[in-house]
Amino acid sequence: MKREQKRKLQSVVALTLSMLAALFGIFWLVFILGSVLVHGARALNASFFLNDPTPPGVTGGGMRNAFVGQLLITLFATIMGVPVGILGGTFLAEYARGKRLSHYVSMLADIMVTVPTIVVGTFIYAIMVKPLGHFSGWAGAVALAVIMIPVVLRTTENMLTLVPWTLREAAFALGAPYYKVIIQVVYRGAITGIFTGVLLSIARVAGETAPLLFTSFNNSFFSGNMNGPIASLTVTIFQYAMGPYDDWHQQAWAAALVITFAILLVTIVGRMVIKLRYGKK
Amino acid sequence: MKKEAAGIKTQKTKNLILGKDPFDLLFYMVTAVAALAVLAITIGIFFILVRESYPAIKKFGVFGFIFAKDWDPYREIFGAATNLFGTAVTTCLSLVIAIPVAIGIAIFVTEIAPDFLKGPIGGAIELLAAIPSIIYGLWGFFTLAPIMANHVEPLLMDTLGKLPLIGPLFQGTPMGIDMLTASVILSIMIIPFTASIARDSFNLTPELVKESAYAVGATRWEVVKNVVIPYSRLGIFGGVALSLGRALGETMAVAFVLGNNHQITTSLFDAAATITVTLANEFTEASSKMYTASLFYLALLLFVLSFIILAVAKFFLVRYQKKYPGEQ
Amino acid sequence: MNLDMQIKGLNFYYGGRHMALQNINLDIYKNTVTALIGPSGCGKTTLLRCFNRMHDLYPGNKYEGEIIFQNRNILSKETDLIDLRSRIGMVFQKPTPFPMTIFDNVAYGLRLRGIRKKSVLSEKVELALKQSAIWDEVKDKLHQSAYALSGGQQQRLVIARALAVEPEALLFDEPTSALDPISTAKIEELIDGLKENVTIIIVTHNLQQAARISEWTGFLMLGELVEFDRTEKIFTVPKEKLTEDYVTGRFG
Repeated sequence: MKREQKRKLQSVVALTLSMLAALFGIFWLVFILGSVLVHGARALNASFFLNDPTPPGVTGGGMRNAFVGQLLITLFATIMGVPVGILGGTFLAEYARGKRLSHYVSMLADIMVTVPTIVVGTFIYAIMVKPLGHFSGWAGAVALAVIMIPVVLRTTENMLTLVPWTLREAAFALGAPYYKVIIQVVYRGAITGIFTGVLLSIARVAGETAPLLFTSFNNSFFSGNMNGPIASLTVTIFQYAMGPYDDWHQQAWAAALVITFAILLVTIVGRMVIKLRYGKK
Repeated sequence: MKKEAAGIKTQKTKNLILGKDPFDLLFYMVTAVAALAVLAITIGIFFILVRESYPAIKKFGVFGFIFAKDWDPYREIFGAATNLFGTAVTTCLSLVIAIPVAIGIAIFVTEIAPDFLKGPIGGAIELLAAIPSIIYGLWGFFTLAPIMANHVEPLLMDTLGKLPLIGPLFQGTPMGIDMLTASVILSIMIIPFTASIARDSFNLTPELVKESAYAVGATRWEVVKNVVIPYSRLGIFGGVALSLGRALGETMAVAFVLGNNHQITTSLFDAAATITVTLANEFTEASSKMYTASLFYLALLLFVLSFIILAVAKFFLVRYQKKYPGEQ
Repeated sequence: MNLDMQIKGLNFYYGGRHMALQNINLDIYKNTVTALIGPSGCGKTTLLRCFNRMHDLYPGNKYEGEIIFQNRNILSKETDLIDLRSRIGMVFQKPTPFPMTIFDNVAYGLRLRGIRKKSVLSEKVELALKQSAIWDEVKDKLHQSAYALSGGQQQRLVIARALAVEPEALLFDEPTSALDPISTAKIEELIDGLKENVTIIIVTHNLQQAARISEWTGFLMLGELVEFDRTEKIFTVPKEKLTEDYVTGRFG
């Protein structure tokens, strides 16, 4: 009986430890979000959104330029990356379904999803920034698009695979050619999933910093010119946090607050939509 | 062969793809090109990085670069050893911290938590993965580093630092801007990845096999330890390898707190440099051709290294899913 | 004839509300084979899983009534489930080898009970494997993975695993439903030999199987025990019309 008690005690201890592990994880989440909220809220005001930065050392000013730059870069990255990703995913899920090629390309895409983003930055630097001789918003957008493509491609592939095959057969039976079946029937069946997947991928690249460091670089002035260096929130956070001024640190936290909660909001809503639409898991 | 002998002709089924409509072919081609973009990007990155780093490859060779400790922009002598050291130490240490926690979380979420808590807790942990890495960096620099410097590291110095063998790891000046802090931040970042893959693997253990372990009188922990974890081994390996790949390539979270100091030391309280941090800090400032080429060479090393590790991870995960295709 | 288990007024609810078993009264005799039959969804597996309290693994289920086993009500709060399950073993619809070697599978329950000595372990493992008529097939590959065995062999291995801890009763939940006829015959033969040492309760959807191997048969429908009697009576002169209709194949 002693042994039995020991085994049960061991079980209780192990399971308690696993519960502590879960609490440990949640502790960091609360800690990080709490810090961002507390520090960020202090510097958050209308001027932060409406004004451009003041010269270094002069307090005041805002990050209007970075907001605009971030939006432009992300917008163009989406315009470039999403269609390629969706069409590529379509190829894998429809035309190449079950073929070896499809298997290998999906696997490659999975690897590329996790490849260090800073490497993508150096790659775009070599093919765009260096030949053109200057940093540019375009280079930043292309870098983010390159990161987006495999993400969107895999989501699309998964979502299309979930559309029941019988739906396609029903459309074929009416005499529709395959491309019409895909566009008019299959896409329609998967639209929620693809749209949410795209949204999640935008949220993901919007928080990227490393690939922008050597592509869109940074700009302390307001610029809407995608042909030159352009500011982004993330790179500005990096620059301000490493800088010597308290005012900069405050603004970095404020920018962190905006970007974190925007991304978390999109992520949570996106996941909830997927859960509602595609059931548990 | 029998069919032919019997005089029966086989007729292949019609290809759905190439109907009469010319748009069919067009759409097929467009999607095919888009799918191959992933392949083109991968190959493109590899070749461009090789091309850009060629001067450095020619000058230092492969092993001459990997094992050389010098990183001297002034004399234009570059070696990757310090960067690889920083990358290896922070990555390994973060895994050491993250793996037990992640597996604990997976056990809690799959085997212990009441149903109404499973979703929220799993979801909250996964939110950690959605926080941009720059935020980790900022938080690590302003919030975590001072705590490490003032509380955690002095404590470690007085306890673990006194021990033989592992003592030197925890000696030195507790500054907070060092490998230990960087590893802690990295570990928080990779916990959700390892945990969610471990959870998915645990969920693939057939309910019946678990029940039959209970039926011989095993406790809940014994079922996890002897059945669920062995059953999920491949999946967990894959998850760990995937997290390794993540940690390896993480830039912004460590760029703030590592100190970017090219050195190889014994203490975790020392500043260091990883490949990513070196790239982030020095790439735009590189003044000479050889300097730039050496940085590209580092990027190439990082790309190849993480590609191999992620491919191995994928291999394990695919094999795992083949072995137990979602049986319930 | 010795009474081994007594079920008195057993009700069982899934998820707190849905009543799955209603007022079950049943006596199980020592060293006999009792078969539980009935159409799918009648509650026979649910009843079987009450005997080792398998339902406790999932939250929200509820028992009422009593199951007396060795003078104690196993449905009471004080019951030690770990201990109960080591006295009443279970074999499932599909073979459930653990991801370990053949030897370790059989030794698993023994090791849980703290038996570490090599000689004792090998002796008991050998005995269990012999009792389940699989020794000759595996004695040369005891240290290979259990997954290398065929389905029928795996099922006998799992029976050996259950036997190794010397349980007093064994629960079989449609043990042959995933097996071919030859493996099925081997398992049935095995069950017949086992009752010397243990009391056996078997759920089966195969009426011939129930007729072949059991002394007692209970017929369940819609969560109620319609009739319980000697097997030959159930299959030849059942008291209830429902039982007759079922065993003669009028519905199923």
